[in-house]
Order: sequence, then structure tokens, then C-alpha cells
Amino acid sequence: MATKYLGERIKRKEDPRLIQGRGHYVDDLKLGGMAHLAFARSPHAHARIKSIDAGAAVATPGVLAVYTGEELKGQVGFVPCAAGLEGLKIPDHPCLATGTVHYLGEPVAAVVATSRYGARDAAEKIEVDYEPLPAVLDMEKALVKGSPRVHEHLTDNTAFVAKLEAGDWNAVRQDASLKVIKQRLINQRLAPASMETRGVVASYSPGEDTLTVWSSTQIPHILKTQLAIMSKLDEARCRVITPEVGGGFGSKLNVYGEEGVACFASRKLGRPVKWIEGRRENMLATIHGRDQINDLEIYAKPDGKVAGFRCRILASMGAYHQLLTPAIPTLTALMILGAYDIKNVFVETVGVFTNEMSTDAYRGAGRPEATYIIERAMDLVAFELKMDPVEVRRKNFPSSGKDISMATGVVYDTANYEKPLKKALRLAGYNRLRKEQERLRKKGKYLGIGVSTYVEICAMGPSSRMPGGGWESGTVRVEPTGKVTVLSGTSPHGQGEETTFAQIVAEQLGVSFDDVTVYHGDTSVVPMGIGTFGSRTTAVGGSAIYYASERIKKKMAKFAAARLGVKPGELLFRDGKIETSDGAKSVPFGSIVVDAYSAKTLPAGVEPGLFEQFVFEPPNYTYPFGAHIAVVEIDEETGEVRLRDYFAVDDCGRILNPLLVDGQIHGGLAQGIGQALWEEHVYDESGQLLTGTFMDYALPKAGCFPWFHTANTETRTPVNPLGVKGVGEAGTIGSTPAVVNAVVDALRPLGVRHVDMPLKPEKIWKLMKGNAGDGGR
Amino acid sequence: MKIEGVYKLAAVRERVFERLLDPESLAKAMPGCDSFEERGDGAYTARIKVGVGPIKGTYEARVEILDRVPPEHYRMTVEGKGSGGFVKGDGAVHLSPEGDGTLLKYSGEVQVGGLIASVGQRMMQTAAKQIVNQFFQAFVKLT
Repeated sequence: MATKYLGERIKRKEDPRLIQGRGHYVDDLKLGGMAHLAFARSPHAHARIKSIDAGAAVATPGVLAVYTGEELKGQVGFVPCAAGLEGLKIPDHPCLATGTVHYLGEPVAAVVATSRYGARDAAEKIEVDYEPLPAVLDMEKALVKGSPRVHEHLTDNTAFVAKLEAGDWNAVRQDASLKVIKQRLINQRLAPASMETRGVVASYSPGEDTLTVWSSTQIPHILKTQLAIMSKLDEARCRVITPEVGGGFGSKLNVYGEEGVACFASRKLGRPVKWIEGRRENMLATIHGRDQINDLEIYAKPDGKVAGFRCRILASMGAYHQLLTPAIPTLTALMILGAYDIKNVFVETVGVFTNEMSTDAYRGAGRPEATYIIERAMDLVAFELKMDPVEVRRKNFPSSGKDISMATGVVYDTANYEKPLKKALRLAGYNRLRKEQERLRKKGKYLGIGVSTYVEICAMGPSSRMPGGGWESGTVRVEPTGKVTVLSGTSPHGQGEETTFAQIVAEQLGVSFDDVTVYHGDTSVVPMGIGTFGSRTTAVGGSAIYYASERIKKKMAKFAAARLGVKPGELLFRDGKIETSDGAKSVPFGSIVVDAYSAKTLPAGVEPGLFEQFVFEPPNYTYPFGAHIAVVEIDEETGEVRLRDYFAVDDCGRILNPLLVDGQIHGGLAQGIGQALWEEHVYDESGQLLTGTFMDYALPKAGCFPWFHTANTETRTPVNPLGVKGVGEAGTIGSTPAVVNAVVDALRPLGVRHVDMPLKPEKIWKLMKGNAGDGGR
Repeated sequence: MKIEGVYKLAAVRERVFERLLDPESLAKAMPGCDSFEERGDGAYTARIKVGVGPIKGTYEARVEILDRVPPEHYRMTVEGKGSGGFVKGDGAVHLSPEGDGTLLKYSGEVQVGGLIASVGQRMMQTAAKQIVNQFFQAFVKLT
């Protein structure tokens, strides 16, 4: 019996070094002559720069240079936006502001000094004279004619309008039996708040004319291309290296102005330049997530079947577009029907400029918003029709199967929504919980049960739908000693693919898991790649590696077949041997490796060596699904929500390593529940950020959560050879509506049908005291 | 942010009024004040070190005295900026006789921006109160 690696609970290769503090992050890098970069940032949300006096900063000992936007003009290109939407307005986005600042924290000047503290101190000495301009923070006000404009040269604050329409709306409107349910949902702005902030070291060598950049990024290859363009350098002379990355959650799926400035400074000064973002800068000037206003209209039949669904999405872009800013809410529109077979759909998405930091991908990226909309919608139908929310969902599920065409135009790879729902209901003891709820309600106690049967979109993605392509590369190289090196174009940063990829290759080649080493995140080592985001790393990157190992096997089988006198197709790779299926004839894996490299007897048409590459182009996205159930209790004195239990049954396709799947779900749940209950990034009316630290921004801690009960169903996807769908974002996507549904369910005796997030005690307390305020209805 | 308060001072209001506009007294009484200079036309410039929570910084401020009605009333605007962000204020001071002394009422609107707003906002009201208290405690001794 061959050693099995796929599907096993194998501990992560990454963990010993990470747990022991032996990993290396950007800030651990120390280079000879390295200088440090710091930024002076705008204290205004919108202001004209009247003058910049850098005299005191320049005169500070240790300061090597001070740069402003004017000096970068023509030298450094704009911060790129890759989203391509019809009619999209893309304002020029300089790395350092010129003329006008458009959001709080926008970099205005950069200081390079011999020490980090010296650079920061000098940055504080830069005197900028601002003339404040009216700031626009409220999206609805921003769209009113005559509103102050974020960008004066643009006609208004609309970045784009996109419409998605399908079905027969005349029929829907004429059907008098339909109940029309309207609701506004606010999806608040969030801070991605990765444990490691952003960081970059740029090192230009004047002699070789090469630029090496170490960056805490999720997309080393894309970053290399973009920095070469921004810096006007020959891309072949640029290299990006990604050391350990302490979390990204989408916020490092980007190209930032600070990186452009670091490259510029290193070239100007001919020495390495390091920039490490502070936590306060991270809260202020690393992309934010979510920030949508959703107005929905549900047309429901008396039996709970939804005939039509309309939604207007207002999505805050912030002041500028970062890499994918406008693309994020288009994913909301695409996934707005979730797990429900609704034939008539209309979605209007309006991207709005505001004087705030840009929004962009944050764990789930557009899908948590979609899932929140449709899963709240299902509960609203249940509320209005006095039905059980589980029943409403079942009424709207499509029949199970493959290639389910949705009215939104997407085709779900597989669907089997009843399966995880059934499992979750059993796991949670749903019927028992409903009885307990009834008992407690008689005593005036608040117990709520919330369900979410989500579907999301993963494994990004088919190149036809992705701005810069959606393929991924994988290389497998068997070293002359028989050890195996794997190179991936993805850039995992905590997800654990050094382990998963080694499992795939070890099982494929029949070698020991310990003999496989995975490398990623160095553009000079890995030929080409796209990166890690959109739950694509294993599904797309792993598939490339799978096929690259297939190529290795094919080649090795030719060598082995010649030795054994059999046909290559008869051979199996297992336990360090290449053998016939009956085990009668075999040859050690290592001997074939020697044959391939010594190249003394080459089979006809076979090249020496064992290194193969594969670029996998996914034919479709994958659509993982699941059922989550949250159980909450609300303190009737204080309004505080206590999450009593959480049950998550996720179907992410075939599971390669249950430990890693669990880890992804746990972390995802923490972030999704965090949005439901605590987190919100708040600007005041003038555009000042009120939640600039962890004292004010309520990022949950481990102690805020119960032990999560997780389970899975496995419906393999036909989209890739591994049958995996992706699981990086599912926890976040499924959990937010489950928790809100639970809290609203708990408050049902009060006639509450909706409360906007985060569900802070003060909001709930007001509702319980009969004072709805603005949060509840 | 709104700030307001009432103070009872032992001196007669003519003296209080005079002292309140005397750069030397203000420099002495103002916590963290490095300099306070008259620029003429009711304008002053000041250099003040202030800390709100974790944000400590030096602010260059321009103070303007308007609507001066000795010895009972004046309005004051403050515009300061420094490493911790900016401060803008507009307030009024009323003096009325009370017994042998003077009753001082102040009220105003303060706007802050930058780092000080994102980090210190929660502490701002308390910090402002504390600074004003410290000022009057020191000021009382000068009158």
C-alpha cells in the first residue's frame, strides 16, 4: 500500500519556523548602507497644498533626501488600477500628492534618512500649508448634483455605473400575488488589519542596473511588472522577493505608492531603502474593505419562493482606485443570488468617489457583501411571511447537480446545498434549539438562531474574466539527489501551501513528503506567476503543480520502462519506487533520477534532466458552498450579544488536508463574525478617522469566540484535476449573515426585522428599550 | 467638539481681563507653552507642547482676539498645527463681577485633525478639560 498524503491531517511545514520566531519578514532584512523611508501624510481629507517647506527636514542630521510630488512628476508613474469596466473613471493617482490631497493620510512628502527614527522625526518637521476644501464622506450626498467633488476635474463623484439585468420584469411587476419587501442594508467599512503591516526594501545597484525589491505582498510577479512600469525600468532587470508575509487578507493584493517611492529613492541615492509601515499608517493608508449601501427589493410568492430580486449597490471607492477597487463591487453583483434559483434579477452598481482611503479586496472581496445581502433577504422573506428561515431557503434552492446556470450569467460548477444544510441542522440540533428558544422567550430571555446557506466564487479564475489573466504556473524539479523542488507562481502567506503542494507532489511521485520543498515568492526563482488571492492558490496553483508532476512522471516512466522492459503506461510511482501495478518489476526512483541526469542512455526523443513546468488555465471558477448556524444570547440588561455556539459546515470540494481547511475556516469565521458584532472603520463628517488604533477599532481577540464546531461535505469540482474549490474566504463570507440573522431572530418578539452592523450593545439596548434609533427598524 | 466651563477668580474683572490678554501671563499659565508673542492687531503667536494620550507634539498656533469689550467679553480664534495634526478653535470668554471677585465663563468649538483625531479622539474631551484646568490653576496665582 502506497503512502497516502492527500486528505491526511499533516502538520504544516511552515509552522516550526513561524512558531519559533525563526521566519524572516521584510523588516528582518538588513543590507549594507540601507537607508530608511518615512512619509509626511495629509491631516486633511481634502485640501489644496499651498506650499511645502522641507527646509527643517533637509537640515536634520542624517537626512539624505526629501521628495515631494513635484519631484516625482515624470520620474515615477501613477499607482496602477487594473480593473476594466465600461465608462470607468480612473483619476491619476500619484505616489505623492501634487496640488491637492484627497484623503486623510495621503502621502505628501517622503524623507530618506540613515535611521528609521531619524526619517520619522524629519518627516514631522515638513511644513505643509494647506487650504482645506469641503470633503465628501457620505456616498448619497456625494451623488447629489452640486455636491463638492473629490476630483475637481471630473464632472461628478460617480466612478462607474454597472447594470445587470435578467428575466421578465413586466411579469414580476404585474403579479399581484407577490409580496414586495424592501430593505436597506449597510455594509460598513473595515480595516484588514493584518498582523504584519506593509513593508518594502528597494535596492537598486547602479553598476548592474538592477532593482531588487523585497515586499510584503501577495502578488510578487504582478508587483515586479508594475514597479518596472512605474519606475520606467527594464522589467528583465527587476526582481521582487517576498519573504514571510504576516497576513494580507487582500490588502497586499496591491501595488502601493509607497513602493514606487522606495524604488525611486533607492535609484536616486544608489543605496537600499527600507520602508516599514506603522500600525497607525496601516489603519489610515492601507486599503479598507467593504463600505457599501445596499437597497433591496424582494418579490416573494406566498409560499416563500422568490420570484424577483432587485438591488442598488452604492460602493465607496475612496478617493482613488487602487489595483482592483472598482472590480470588487462587481463581484457583489455577480454573486448576489447566492444559493437561490431566482429567475428575475436586476442589480445596479454605482461606484462612488469619497474623500477616504481606497477600498479594495478584503477577505471575501465583494462576496461577503453579496452573501450578506441575499442571506438577509432570505430571513426578511421568512420574517414577512412568518416562515422558518430554513424552509424559505429550501424553497429557493436549485436542484443539485453540475453546471447550474444562474440568472446573473455565471455557471456554478456544482451545487448540492441541501447536503451541508442538513448536516449543519443536525450538528446544531436545530429543532431542539427552536424549542429552547420558545421556552426562553416565555421567560423574557433572548435566544437567536441564525442560518446562512452561502455560495461563493473561488479559484480565480478563467483568464477571460480576470484583468491580467487567471492562470497559474507550477514547476517541479527533481534534483540529481532525488530530492524534489517545487516552484509556484502563487504567493501563500499563511495559508499553508508549502505543505499542501508538497502533499500533492509526494503523492504523485511516490516520494516522501519530507523530500519535497516548495518555493514561491521570488520572481527570479519562479519563472512566472499571478499570486495568492480569491481562494485560488490550491485550486489553480496546485493544479499547475499537479500537471507539472504528471509531466515528470511521464518522462521518468519512459526511462523506467526502458530499464524494466515494460510499457511506460503500466508503471506506478509509490514509496520511492517505480513499479508495475502487480509489483513484480520495480526500479528505485533515485536510479531513474540518475539515468535522467547522467543522460548516458536516453530513450528516443527524451531530453536529459527532470524539471517540468505547467501553466494551468482554469475553465471556470469554482463555487464552494456551505451552511452556517450561529446561536446567540442577548443580555436583556445590557444588550450585549454573546455568541453561544457556532456551527460551520463547508463544502470546499475535495479536502487535501483537513487541518489546513479547519485553520482557514476558523480564521475566516473570526473576521466574518468580527464584522457582524464589533468592527467598523469610522470617519467623522470632516473626514477625520476616529478609529485609528486598536483602542478604537474593535478587532476581536480569541477570547471573543466560542469553540467553533466545524464539519465538511465534499462535493468535488470538475473544474480542476484535484477536485478542490478553495476555502480561504468561505468562513468570512458565510458567517457575517449567520450572526446578524441570529441577533435579529433573537429580537423577533420585539418586532425587529433588521439591525445594521456592527451589533454593538448600545444599538441592541436601545431596541430593547423601544428606542430604535437609526440602527433598527 | 464643544468645550465650556465656569471659573471663579479672586481678582476684580478689570485685572482678570487685562491679565487674560497679557502675553507674559498667558505664557506662564499655559501648560507646555514655550513662547507667546503679541503680533499686533489682537493677534498672537504661540508655541505649545501638548500631549493628548499617546500623541505628544509641538504646535505653532496663531491666536486672534476679536470683538473685544473690556472688561467683560472677547472672542478668540486659534489655529494651530504641528506634528500631531491641526487644531482649530473658536470661543468666547465672558467676565461678570461676583462679590469681590470675577466669574469667568468660557465656551467654544474645537476641531482637530490628523493623528491627534485618529488616536486621541476618545481622550480629547478629558484632555481639553485637564489643560484648561491646569491653565486656570496657574492663572489664578498670577491675578
